[in-house]
Amino acid sequence: MELQWQAALSSVWQSPYLGLVLTLMSFQLGLWLYRKSAQQPFLHPVMVSVVTVCIVVLFTNLSFERYIESAHILSQFLGPVIVALAIPLYENLKALKQYWLPFVVSNVVGGAITILIAIGMLSVMGGSDVSMNSMWTKSITTAFALQIAPEINGLAALAAAIIMVTGILGAIMAPPLFRLFNITAAPAQGCALGVCAHAVGTSKALELGSEQGAFAALSMSFMGVLCAFTLPFLV
Amino acid sequence: MNWLKTDMLYGLIVFLLFLLLGEFIAQLLSLPVPASVLGMLMLFITLVIRGGITSELKASSNGILPYLPLFIVPASVGIVNFMGLLEQEGLALLSAIVISLLVGIPVCGLLAQSLIKRQTNKRAK
Repeated sequence: MELQWQAALSSVWQSPYLGLVLTLMSFQLGLWLYRKSAQQPFLHPVMVSVVTVCIVVLFTNLSFERYIESAHILSQFLGPVIVALAIPLYENLKALKQYWLPFVVSNVVGGAITILIAIGMLSVMGGSDVSMNSMWTKSITTAFALQIAPEINGLAALAAAIIMVTGILGAIMAPPLFRLFNITAAPAQGCALGVCAHAVGTSKALELGSEQGAFAALSMSFMGVLCAFTLPFLV
Repeated sequence: MNWLKTDMLYGLIVFLLFLLLGEFIAQLLSLPVPASVLGMLMLFITLVIRGGITSELKASSNGILPYLPLFIVPASVGIVNFMGLLEQEGLALLSAIVISLLVGIPVCGLLAQSLIKRQTNKRAK
């Protein structure tokens, strides 16, 4: 019997599961690197996974269309998972009791300032409309932004890239900025991380302490809901 | 192997039903708000009214939420279709992000901190 190496390999490469397996494996690699590196923000599993898959899609004959057809099933889970965020939101609510006013004010004002500065900078530097529309979502977590960006004529994928970079840089820049400006109150640190660096910021906040983590998670959800209700009418 | 041990299923059904409720409300009121965000709000309001979370729901959310980052990967890979745009505007986007963070983080933190301090001082008096 003659072994059909060529046909066997090509059927694996053509498999409808290839994109899914590629995503899961690259994400697992990301998780491993993130743990090994003591949670370096720039080695965030999403970053590692997206970059790995992008390299494969750009440099092999696996097209984006064929990739997304296979991996799309993962995107389908985003809807129910966003709904599930109501549970940690409810559980963190206790932390708010005392400090709801500082929380709301710093979220609304801080969020508006960080978004408007980014939009202003980008328009000064001649950013295109589609970049500007995507930039509006910079301070919300990707899961929300993927759904909101199309509503305001932004690109979901560009929004995701902007948010990823914002989250990583925010998590790296926040601790030195806290020292420089003497920001020591745990809720204040949490709000700043949640508003400016959403999900990556929230994992950083959890490293600083559980109170920081709760406020960051609350800020992340609050900003997401706030932007979901305001951006479609503003942009 | 116990096929009756399917705690995740109950929660998944609840989350999906609230997602559909969100879809319904968005269309009903013609709100340009994502159905999932509306669904989350509805579930949140339900939990506040009920005043607690059932252990099944808690177990399901604990089971599914750690995978949230994984679920955003495929859509994020879509950036491969916009490499030209990134080449042209990448630097502008990056500097806008860095400067907005350099201002946003201190402003947000200092604002929250000063409001907290004022509140504690008031309480002390």
